Amino acid sequence: MVAIAVLALPLLGLIVRAPWPQLPALLTEESAQAALRLSLITSLLALGLSTLLGVPLAWLFARREFPGKALLRALCVLPMVLPPVVGGVALLLAFGRRGLLGQPLAELTGITLPFSTGGVVLAEAFVAMPFLIVTVESGLRVMDPRYEDAAATLGASRWMVFRRVTLPLIRPSLGAGMALCWARALGEFGATITFAGNLPGRTQTMPLAVYLQLETSPDAAYLLSLILLVVSVVVLVALRDRFLGAR
Amino acid sequence: MSLHAEVALRLGTLELDATLDVAAGEVVAILGPNGSGKTTLLRAIAGLLPLPAGRVELGGEVLEDPQRGLRVPAAQRAVGVVFQDHLLFPHLSAVDNVAFGLQARGTSRRAARQRAAAWLERVHLPGVGSAKPRALSGGQAQRVALARALAVDPALLLLDEPLAGLDVEAQLAIRHELRAHLDAFTGPCLLVTHQPVEAITLADRLVILEGGRIVQQGPVDEVARRPRSSWVARLVGLNLYRGYARHGSIDLGSGHRLLAAAPVNGEVFAVVHPHAVALHRSRPDGSPRNVWSGTIGGLDVYGDRVRVHVASAAPIVAEVTPAAVTDLDLGRGGTIWASFKASAVEPYQA
Repeated sequence: MVAIAVLALPLLGLIVRAPWPQLPALLTEESAQAALRLSLITSLLALGLSTLLGVPLAWLFARREFPGKALLRALCVLPMVLPPVVGGVALLLAFGRRGLLGQPLAELTGITLPFSTGGVVLAEAFVAMPFLIVTVESGLRVMDPRYEDAAATLGASRWMVFRRVTLPLIRPSLGAGMALCWARALGEFGATITFAGNLPGRTQTMPLAVYLQLETSPDAAYLLSLILLVVSVVVLVALRDRFLGAR
Repeated sequence: MSLHAEVALRLGTLELDATLDVAAGEVVAILGPNGSGKTTLLRAIAGLLPLPAGRVELGGEVLEDPQRGLRVPAAQRAVGVVFQDHLLFPHLSAVDNVAFGLQARGTSRRAARQRAAAWLERVHLPGVGSAKPRALSGGQAQRVALARALAVDPALLLLDEPLAGLDVEAQLAIRHELRAHLDAFTGPCLLVTHQPVEAITLADRLVILEGGRIVQQGPVDEVARRPRSSWVARLVGLNLYRGYARHGSIDLGSGHRLLAAAPVNGEVFAVVHPHAVALHRSRPDGSPRNVWSGTIGGLDVYGDRVRVHVASAAPIVAEVTPAAVTDLDLGRGGTIWASFKASAVEPYQA
């Protein structure tokens, strides 16, 4: 009972106290819209980046043996348990103006990631990609690898095997991984504010806007929170077979 | 176009070391107990397992030669494989499964599907093209798998337990059809099975694989008549012994002697057909040269006869009538005498 109260009451509070009558007006407000738009764009870009980089990595972890694999794998899923603020600091040290990679990157191309929209995407991908990797990897492990063998004996190149056999067979896991990844990217706060700052229109995503507007215009904060809650519920419903339907 | 394969590899506890030659148009069945390396051998020849040592050659073209660092990947070998459990791609329709290999080899989607549909007709499956594998019966899935393997016009055909998991009726039909397809196939064909019927009806030659080694190979009837391992002997229902012979007296090394009519010498195998073995509750008198005693180990119904397993240092199986089982009260077990004539012992060189 206590557990249910602790978990459910705050959400109930949000729904009850939400400024329902002002909802349409708040939705059209410039700052809310900017945060909403930025969040959508950056989280989708982070999702794309995570999928593009994470799926091959998951395949590598599931299908190949190589020295140092356990260490590399641990490193790749570490952001799941790492405090996001620490992730942001680490990103600053790596990609900051004086960072390990940031300095040569800035000198060579003039691109600086911190306090830019690109930085937001990077921070979100850093935190969210592990969710995709872990989910897709487990999907690959469950899949019978002999289907890939069968495709190979039929003359399919590695890429064709992956595209026409592996991907369709792991589609449920890939979908779940992408949903989790996107939800996590959308809600990202700690790493983003540390690495990309809080510049309205450029790096101020919804969670940052919620935090800021709680003091100036709490109604807008409630509204943005409500939107994030709805997104979470939608993701949960989409993944119900995985989490709710645990029979 | 013939196949020459020397396969030597370790996989878990299996140590596979086998050399095989299969001529064009020949069907060779690899028969062996579970875990003997049959499937592993096929996978290695298909290029799905890299060889640390050995050599695979198909029609004079070297597919794999680790000593020279040569290895043609599975996708570039002209090998058709029918896998155990069929392994039809579950997300593709039957026709797309068959068309997959053609598309992989550069045929356009349209042309590939046309040819796939023609193949489905050849395996007597017109009209199931749009069905997904899960909607197919075991027999239908088996036919689709065969069409998929043959559609790419392979130079070598590998079949892994093609009739496993089918009900008896489907087995009969598919075996018959498979026989026709194998007759039409001009390349070498390797068939893995653990069912003797499958091997006898489909293959020209048997290769017996046990513990990763070939223990015997030859024409079906020769293997059936002169087994060279206890597993094969059990399979074909013969008593098999191995020992050292002097003028027809074979020392089995367990205190038992086997007296043969033929005056053989040296290391020999000898088979005794169970129906040549008579059972008695007391020591028999008279002509039989071989009389052993033991205890009744178990009874099996075998056709209209009963096979009685007699346990002793040299175990023997006798085939008797159900009436004899009643007369001798074999059901209660106990001590029993087995006798057979010297002329019932068929020795051959080990």
